[in-house]
Amino acid sequence: MKKRLAIIGNGMAASRLLDELVRRNATDSFEISAFGEESRGSYNRILLGRVLSGSDPEEIALKPTSWYAARGVTFHSGVRVAKVDPVGRRITTITGDLHPYDVCVFATGSSPLVPPVRGLKGDDGSPRDGVHVFRTIEDCMAIRDRARPGSSAVVVGGGLLGLEAAKALCDLGLHVTVLHLDAVLMNAQLDKSGGELLRRAIEKMGIFVRTSTSADEILGNGHVEAVRMRAGDVVPADLVVFACGIVPRVEAAKASGVPVNRAILVNDLLATQVPGVYAVGECAEHDGKVYGLVQPIWEQCAVLADVLTGANPRARYLGSKVYARLKVAGVEVASFGITDAEFPTDEVVQVFEERRGVYRKLVVRDGKLAGAMLVGCAEAAPALVQMFDRNEPLPPNRLDVLATGNAPTTAAEREVCNCNHVTESAVVEAIRDGCDTLPALCEATRAGTGCGSCRGQLTTLLANHTQTTLA
Amino acid sequence: MSAIPPIPLTTLAPQSLGVRTHCPYCAFQCGILMGEDLGGGMPRVSGDPNWAVNNGQLCIKGWTSAALLDHPQRVTTPQMRDARGEWREASWDEALDFVAAKLLAIRERHGADANGVFGSGAVTNEKAYLLGKFARVALGTANIDYNGRFCMSSAAAAANRAFGLDRGLPFPVADLEHAEVIMLVGANIADTLPPMMQWFDRQRANGGRLIVVDPRRTPTGRVADIFLQLTPGTDLSLANGLLYVAIEERLTDERYVADRTNGFDAVRALAIQYHPARVERLTGIPESQLRKTARWLATARSAMVLTGRGTEQHSKGVDSVHAWINLMLALGKVGKPHSGFGTLTGQGNGQGGREHGQKTDQLPGYRLIEVDTHREAIAKVWGVEPSSLPRKGKSAYELLDSCGESVKSLFVMGSNVAVAAPHLSRLLPKLKSLELLVVADAFHNETSAHAHVFLPVLQWAEEDGTMTNLEGRVIRRRVVSRPPFGPRSDIDVLHHLAARLGCGEKFAFRTMESVFNELRRATAGAPADYSGITYAKIEQQDGVFWPCKSDDDPGTPRMFAEHFHHADGRAKFFAVEHRAAGEEPNAEFPLFFTTGRYKEHYNSGAQTRTVVKLQNAQPIPRLEMHPRLARRHRVVTGSKVTVESRRAKVEFVAEVTPDIRPDTLFAPFHWGGQAAANLLTSAALDPTSSMPEFKLAAVRIVKVG
Repeated sequence: MKKRLAIIGNGMAASRLLDELVRRNATDSFEISAFGEESRGSYNRILLGRVLSGSDPEEIALKPTSWYAARGVTFHSGVRVAKVDPVGRRITTITGDLHPYDVCVFATGSSPLVPPVRGLKGDDGSPRDGVHVFRTIEDCMAIRDRARPGSSAVVVGGGLLGLEAAKALCDLGLHVTVLHLDAVLMNAQLDKSGGELLRRAIEKMGIFVRTSTSADEILGNGHVEAVRMRAGDVVPADLVVFACGIVPRVEAAKASGVPVNRAILVNDLLATQVPGVYAVGECAEHDGKVYGLVQPIWEQCAVLADVLTGANPRARYLGSKVYARLKVAGVEVASFGITDAEFPTDEVVQVFEERRGVYRKLVVRDGKLAGAMLVGCAEAAPALVQMFDRNEPLPPNRLDVLATGNAPTTAAEREVCNCNHVTESAVVEAIRDGCDTLPALCEATRAGTGCGSCRGQLTTLLANHTQTTLA
Repeated sequence: MSAIPPIPLTTLAPQSLGVRTHCPYCAFQCGILMGEDLGGGMPRVSGDPNWAVNNGQLCIKGWTSAALLDHPQRVTTPQMRDARGEWREASWDEALDFVAAKLLAIRERHGADANGVFGSGAVTNEKAYLLGKFARVALGTANIDYNGRFCMSSAAAAANRAFGLDRGLPFPVADLEHAEVIMLVGANIADTLPPMMQWFDRQRANGGRLIVVDPRRTPTGRVADIFLQLTPGTDLSLANGLLYVAIEERLTDERYVADRTNGFDAVRALAIQYHPARVERLTGIPESQLRKTARWLATARSAMVLTGRGTEQHSKGVDSVHAWINLMLALGKVGKPHSGFGTLTGQGNGQGGREHGQKTDQLPGYRLIEVDTHREAIAKVWGVEPSSLPRKGKSAYELLDSCGESVKSLFVMGSNVAVAAPHLSRLLPKLKSLELLVVADAFHNETSAHAHVFLPVLQWAEEDGTMTNLEGRVIRRRVVSRPPFGPRSDIDVLHHLAARLGCGEKFAFRTMESVFNELRRATAGAPADYSGITYAKIEQQDGVFWPCKSDDDPGTPRMFAEHFHHADGRAKFFAVEHRAAGEEPNAEFPLFFTTGRYKEHYNSGAQTRTVVKLQNAQPIPRLEMHPRLARRHRVVTGSKVTVESRRAKVEFVAEVTPDIRPDTLFAPFHWGGQAAANLLTSAALDPTSSMPEFKLAAVRIVKVG
């Protein structure tokens, strides 16, 4: 008799968990069902910007609805779970349907944070027309419908998500203003200098940025007409998009008696305190951390699949190192680890190139990278994040790791004679010095005295460069 | 100056320089002209200016290849072990009687599969064909495989699955000249196929651009327009990451995907999870370069991806090749002019060697031994019952790993497994424990050191035959050198052994051409169809590209323009995911170790290490190490550095170079004994191709001094 495994949620965590389970042949031992609030199969939220800028939602689909059936997974689409009865081992949906289970996993993700702002709702109490969040395909389609060239938009939030939304709207031809609560854009990932350069780059794209402020009130008669900011200034807007953070979705877990702090509390097995109940993704809190990026969530899914299927019962999730990359074409931002020294012994290395708009900063602890941020040019980021991941010691000259080592070799350094490693420039120089016959050239440079295969090329070089001398 | 001939060779008529044949080494099979040994430092070998593959160019190995003939270390008499285990000379009859009696006794006691056969990608099509037939018909063993398993098996498996057919390059090498963008992945042409560089030079002279992917900035990487120094073992992620960019930036060819392929949806759903931040972290390649590369490949009117062993010799080698094929299919490049996907075959006859039945799962013509209709076709040509043909046996590494256990004897032809196989410290005791190890070769090597019988056979220039080069072009090797007295042809050896095993009549060929004619019949109607190829046609056309199905079929230089070779004519996408290597570096073994080749040496070095000029030019393996890593371990160029993996320790001399990744060590694998790089490598096998993971082992530096 197969055990029944219920996954509550159908977002990126649930999708990944399904992949990891299927890869471990979990359908042999489990009857798996997934409960998704959205009616479509799961899709890649990372690419929502694409949908905003006009793509067909199908293009970002991770699992068409046919995927589930083909693998023997039951997909309850458009179903919201109200709570779980961990003793009776039953799931109750908001419509009152009951579904028995043996093991259940909360993968409910999060919802967008909408700060308490006056005027979010119209006079009749319904959500005000023109106010949006940036979370689902439906959100994007709704924004798209409203975003006409010449319209103006206010994006609340100047973090990874807010800037991405702002850029997509700007690309659609809108007048875009970003409101950011902190004085520094992307303040979770950047320091003041980094934020400043980023702001310059964002403004250069045609987006207006206002920092140290937020929306205080949405104004309008029926639909949005303007946003009043903290200091009282009013910005006209046809569209307001909130992208200023996320809140883990824990109502169902709370209702089920599963311990919740900021999110659902899990241990290294991704298990909650309640037997038979697990949690992964943005709705899970591990070791005091709630992750909002995809990589940590995938790592959690791999561990949970190992544990649940018994593929590796000793798999443990020990936390993730987060690598953040801004997805806004035209400005490179990469950041990981701590953003500033925390102890007196921490070293900070900063390279600030104001004119180029490039800023690179390393935070070093015990000779190893504890964090780095790169703004304007992130070419060194992959090598740095690998050193961070592997806890590799840095070279004594810290600047060495910022050199990308990717300078192209000039054509003149091409080797003509591979046997004796003679470069083209050396051959040309010898010709200019008077070696005007093949034997003389070979004797002077040793080129062509190994395998001899380059003698054709030497002859060509001779012909070309002796002529130049004569002319 | 003595090395410079007084007369420019190209001014002489070719026929006055000698006979047209081909170099003994790699799959480029340079055309050479070979004359008599005139002495006085005059070269016996020169590049054939009229062979349209190498156009007269040769590398230092080809140039010195004649040194293998009349070599003082050449073995000319069969050898057997005396009472003290030393070599003693024997007559052919004594040696063959001994081998045959042992083979029969082992078969009697342990069953037919206890006799193993190990072939080579260096032997001619005729020999490859005959060795496969010998194993199946004379020995009746399922256990035959060959060293191409360590070379081409991943690329071959992926191409067969994706296109329905594997021909290394589906176009002539001359097409490279007209490709706007070429991407070389894990292929160091400048060192491994030096005369091929001329095609890249021409391509660049035409305004073409070159992208090179390698953990080392090799001489090939140095001439690239984009050089991607990727983390070992992350080729698949890179390819998927490029596909992500192509999808995100709408660079895929939807029309082509719809008309000519199957399975893209699953690949797209997977590829869109390879966002640049993830791929950067895995591969070490910055997003800006990912985007540039994807745009170059996608927007060029013609673009090629060519892979080498760097991407293939991994425990996920097949999937990695699939990822590259997926990319090129999604971009709509495969089958378009001067475009597509190809793999650069390594060994001289690596292409033909993998088509004619040396592989344990295959029969001649790329037929499959587990498919009944294929078995019937071959059984008919061989005049045996289909049921008498063995089934699929052990792949190369598994075969070697079974030595001394289920496999009691091994007959090795043209391969030096004691250098070229992975995890040597495990293999060598197994070779020693065999009841019978027979080596048929021209020179003693590290493998024959453990052999009971050594059978001296003819060399490349001493006998006739055909090879299939990396383009899939079948070419002729000719007799240009008189063999010494003593050695016999491999086909003669197989014939006489077969006779002693009771089926001599099935191996009684008087000429190579008659073997080839049987091969033609055996491949008629097969995927790799040689039936329309004759020695005369090869002569007339400067080689014939297979498939060639009839007398008036000129052959097929370019494939896939109209259709692929699956039943519905479409190519298949395969959704492939990144996975960890057999072993990844960790705190204990923090560094990557990878292997490769020197320009001066060829594979296990069995031939090239006997050539004085080559050995002088490159006498020892050197361990390449980045200055940053070197400083941390107080290593300078010339230091002795001991590297340890989970399997062995090897001491190398260091060469400090900024051209390698700081997290990676490199050493060439041409040497055996204590200096063998393959003592360190692991035998994690690809689940589909059984390719061992030569290109990635986790190691540490344990001693410097």
